[in-house]
Amino acid sequence: MNTRDLVLIALFAAIVVVLGLIPPITLGFIPVPITAQSMGVMLAGCIIGAKRGALSFLLFVLLVAIGLPVLSGGRGGLAVLAGPSGGFILGWAVAAYVTGIIAERFIHEGQPESRQFGGFFLASVVGGIIVLYGIGVPWLSTVTGTPLLAAATGSLAFIPGDLLKAAIATLAARAVYAGYPLLPARA
Amino acid sequence: MLTSLYVEGRSWFHRLPVRAKLISLLLLSLSLFATQSLYLLAPAFLLSGWIYFSLGLTLRQALARVGFVFFTILFLAVVNLFLLPLNEVGALVLRLMALVFFAAAVTATTTISAFMDEITILLKPLERMGLLKAADVSLALGLVLRFVPDIFARYEAIREAHRARGLPIRPLTIIGPLIILTLKDADTIAAAIDARGFRRQ
Repeated sequence: MNTRDLVLIALFAAIVVVLGLIPPITLGFIPVPITAQSMGVMLAGCIIGAKRGALSFLLFVLLVAIGLPVLSGGRGGLAVLAGPSGGFILGWAVAAYVTGIIAERFIHEGQPESRQFGGFFLASVVGGIIVLYGIGVPWLSTVTGTPLLAAATGSLAFIPGDLLKAAIATLAARAVYAGYPLLPARA
Repeated sequence: MLTSLYVEGRSWFHRLPVRAKLISLLLLSLSLFATQSLYLLAPAFLLSGWIYFSLGLTLRQALARVGFVFFTILFLAVVNLFLLPLNEVGALVLRLMALVFFAAAVTATTTISAFMDEITILLKPLERMGLLKAADVSLALGLVLRFVPDIFARYEAIREAHRARGLPIRPLTIIGPLIILTLKDADTIAAAIDARGFRRQ
């Protein structure tokens, strides 16, 4: 890994920390407030690619584990990882990796804009929603004893918000890709 | 801006070696998940609670740190009441809360540098396999701590620019510029690191 990749990984982790400091936005039609930080996984995969995105989130989870209050709302520490939603936090690196793999495969220079939007959206939904819930929900079910089906049904409430996040991440990722493409320069 | 969750103190738990604390946390989580008995889980809950509340945090601070996690645990417990027998729900709640208390106690009594020393040791096998360098992990961590205030200042500048133009502050119009402006610095920072020979390449 060259120094530039190392710096990109660290800077992206720092961006995710800052996204956690931005006050969450509430939308009328969705009950859960949207935190900018939860878009980080989709953004990381779509913007700096699979390997760097995943390493960036491993670094971020390390920050959580060593007791820095980097999660949105000033949370952090081992207690969060030991709690019911620890699986989602540990799943971020995998989710960023899958998002990155899909984005790297589907996005190329010179494609029509609409295909790039489609590719980023697909990557965000598969990596940032399906893979993330695929890890977080069974984890939650194991840790809290809530039957898997009930936990999965309950988490459906978050899906509309997540789809909206995927849409915002798609637009932001495409804007960054147009302005300063980093995805092709793979680590 | 980023202050660690560590609290100064001289309690016996502060003085325990970090490795002992981390190994006990691991053993505690393994053993608590191996048992269903309330007679074992309730004392474990009381013990970790006692450790956590004897660290010198004020009650309010102590509760603020674990409040959100406890809220999730209790919310899921209420859901579980409809699906599982009562004693099982009790066991699940006690087990998780005991773990969260203990984990929060480890976090509150361990400095970042003490954590990093342990992590460097844990990374040794990976380093020997040639997968990564422990020094790179510390460097990356240092870079994050160094650049978070800068990036936050940049976020505020972009927000002010929105205000000045009378635009609503939306995540979409902020995230794009924030990421581009930040990542564009990567080359300069990388060059500065290499020029100082931090990575000995």
